[in-house]
Amino acid sequence: MAAVQDSAVAIGAGARRRPAAQGRLAALWTNHGAGYMFLLPWLVGFFGLTLGPAVASLYLSFTSFDLIRSPEWVGAANYVRIATADPKFAASLKVTFLYVVLSVPFKLAFALFVAILLDRGVKGLTVYRAIFYLPSLLGGSVAIAVLWRQLFAGDGLINSLLAQFGIEGPSWISHPDYSIWTLVVLSVWQFGSPMIIFLAGLRQIPTDMYEAASLDGASKFRQFYKITLPLLTPVIFFNAVVQTIEAFKAFTPAFIISGGTGGPINSTLFYTLYLYQEAFGNFRMGYASALAWILVLIIGLFTAFSFLTSRYWVHYDD
Amino acid sequence: MTMRMTRRNVLAGGAALLSYSMLASSALSQEARLRMLWWGSQARADRTNKVNQLFQSENPGVAINGEFLGWSDYWPRLATQVAGRNAPDIIQMDYRYIVEYARRGALAPLNDYLGSVLKVEDFDQVQIEGGSVDGKLYGISLGANSATMLVNTVAFEEAGVELPTPSTTWDEMARIGAEITKAGKRKGYFGLSDGSGVEPLLENWLRQRGKALFTAEGKIAYDANDAAEWFSMWAAMREAKACVPPDIQALDQFNVETSPLSLGKAATSYAHSNQLVAYQGINKDKLALRSHPLIGKDAKGGHYRKPSMFFSVSAQTKDPELGAKYVNFFVTNPNAAEVLGVERGVPESKAVREALAPTLDELGRAALDYVSGLGPLAGLLPPPPPSGAGEAELALRTVAEQVGFGQLDVKQGGETLVNEVTQILSRG
Repeated sequence: MAAVQDSAVAIGAGARRRPAAQGRLAALWTNHGAGYMFLLPWLVGFFGLTLGPAVASLYLSFTSFDLIRSPEWVGAANYVRIATADPKFAASLKVTFLYVVLSVPFKLAFALFVAILLDRGVKGLTVYRAIFYLPSLLGGSVAIAVLWRQLFAGDGLINSLLAQFGIEGPSWISHPDYSIWTLVVLSVWQFGSPMIIFLAGLRQIPTDMYEAASLDGASKFRQFYKITLPLLTPVIFFNAVVQTIEAFKAFTPAFIISGGTGGPINSTLFYTLYLYQEAFGNFRMGYASALAWILVLIIGLFTAFSFLTSRYWVHYDD
Repeated sequence: MTMRMTRRNVLAGGAALLSYSMLASSALSQEARLRMLWWGSQARADRTNKVNQLFQSENPGVAINGEFLGWSDYWPRLATQVAGRNAPDIIQMDYRYIVEYARRGALAPLNDYLGSVLKVEDFDQVQIEGGSVDGKLYGISLGANSATMLVNTVAFEEAGVELPTPSTTWDEMARIGAEITKAGKRKGYFGLSDGSGVEPLLENWLRQRGKALFTAEGKIAYDANDAAEWFSMWAAMREAKACVPPDIQALDQFNVETSPLSLGKAATSYAHSNQLVAYQGINKDKLALRSHPLIGKDAKGGHYRKPSMFFSVSAQTKDPELGAKYVNFFVTNPNAAEVLGVERGVPESKAVREALAPTLDELGRAALDYVSGLGPLAGLLPPPPPSGAGEAELALRTVAEQVGFGQLDVKQGGETLVNEVTQILSRG
């Protein structure tokens, strides 16, 4: 009897609750439905193409998976091998760090330099902005990497130019001492996107500050050093973090220039290229997944480090 | 896990059957579809597509969708398609990968179709065995080729040196190379490509010494002394400017377009005989095929006739019999043979070879004559390379570069190579 009563109460409660819940849902829908519909493509993309594969790769990183047979659970074995028995992991990490350390500062300095030039009221600014931004749009493409190979080959344009001055250049892309530099130059050449952001940042600095400073007799260099740079630090910080992450993930140029080998002598063996070789060249998708998660960890640590140190050098105007 | 896969396959098979019976009832859509994937140049694609049209006209109701890629893009694509249960029905397979794919269950065994659908009785038995793994047939050879030295005959003539012969030794080759460089008829031109990182060339040299790259058990079959001697032979050639310097050799991505021969840097390159067609296509000067030099005057040759590539049928295909029928058409139909020529190697079927011979152009003739004229220089086909062979090849290339650029001396180079290859093979 009690049970019947209970269920009756439950039904009653449910019946009472349902219209309210429906009402809330309906209200939610009328208020935000359009918003969720607009978000839907992004949500599908995020869960289907980003989060789902990421979770799958985390699982695969604890397996031995040759792409054809089913994955086999191996525990932490992949991570153990990375840490203890993989000289190529160390080699690729070294190349990648070198690339990050060289390309990011050079690229940011160059982007800032061009942004300042453009900020000085050049005629046809928008045209220049578009032109300078172009390499960034093209930069990741295979065609540009192929072009780069042509430019820096032994008898390429660069050496033809050097020959005008009586210098006999090496084959830049195929000499282990120089090959990484051609990739750094390629990266610096794609300075467009940080440049645009710098330009926006420069526009935020009030001109009366410069006027006051020049009235006080401060030189252009001093103005740059004392006004422009400190006020620009939030933008520099943003660009540095974004570009560092980009540099860690670089793949296409090294893949094309070395024909996928990372050569000569592993000098262009970017981390992502090694990961790719392991996954698709050597059929070790599980191991490659572990490598990918180590990269996530490294990028995370770098970004965290940037944020922690930022309080000592980034000035927010408030 | 395996259990579930099987069940899924059964379900898929059931679904396929169901759809077939439904298709049969509607006269409109009786089409069977074969998807195929191969690597190669545009020239190969044109020939293949023509053969596909022939097959379709003889088999109404069958549609063939072919796709092709370059060698280095091919393997990642194939691996992901197989992993995604979306493998092409007909797969062009290489001797290097057939063991990996067969042992992992990605290919359909073809033994059941021998004699009925697959009529390959007049094939060279050795080449049939080349397509077998663990006693089952997984690939039908599309032709035989052999490692070769491509020579630019015009450059040899300009330098006033004779073309190498089947009895030319490496010592003589080094002298010839230095003479071409010294003649200086072309700017920045050298006699030979640096072959120290080229695996088929090392294999040829090792076989002349009675060794091999790998044992039948999949272990390394040469020692550090062999490797050191190999590197020191090439170091001497670099020293004498008989071959290109390391930074020019490093431009070579081991394909037709980037070899020092095609880049106009050297008068030789090391390749396989069926590649003559592609090499000549982008080289203005007339090229010729030569056997690899000998280690001594009375040495035995290190060559062998190798299945240039196979057609395999996917284990995931809905209709393996149709796949086998297609492969059979490709390798035995005289009209198909005429279209294909020797671009994929010299046909294995004796009847096809005889029918084909009079129809070949000059390049085809040269490739055919080279492979069939190796005579005593050709020995037994080595066992298929073990898992990890691709990685070992890259290791040879890297160590050869380290020696070339002077980061390692020849002795260290030999030890490093043997250590690395041993490790790679033990990982499998």
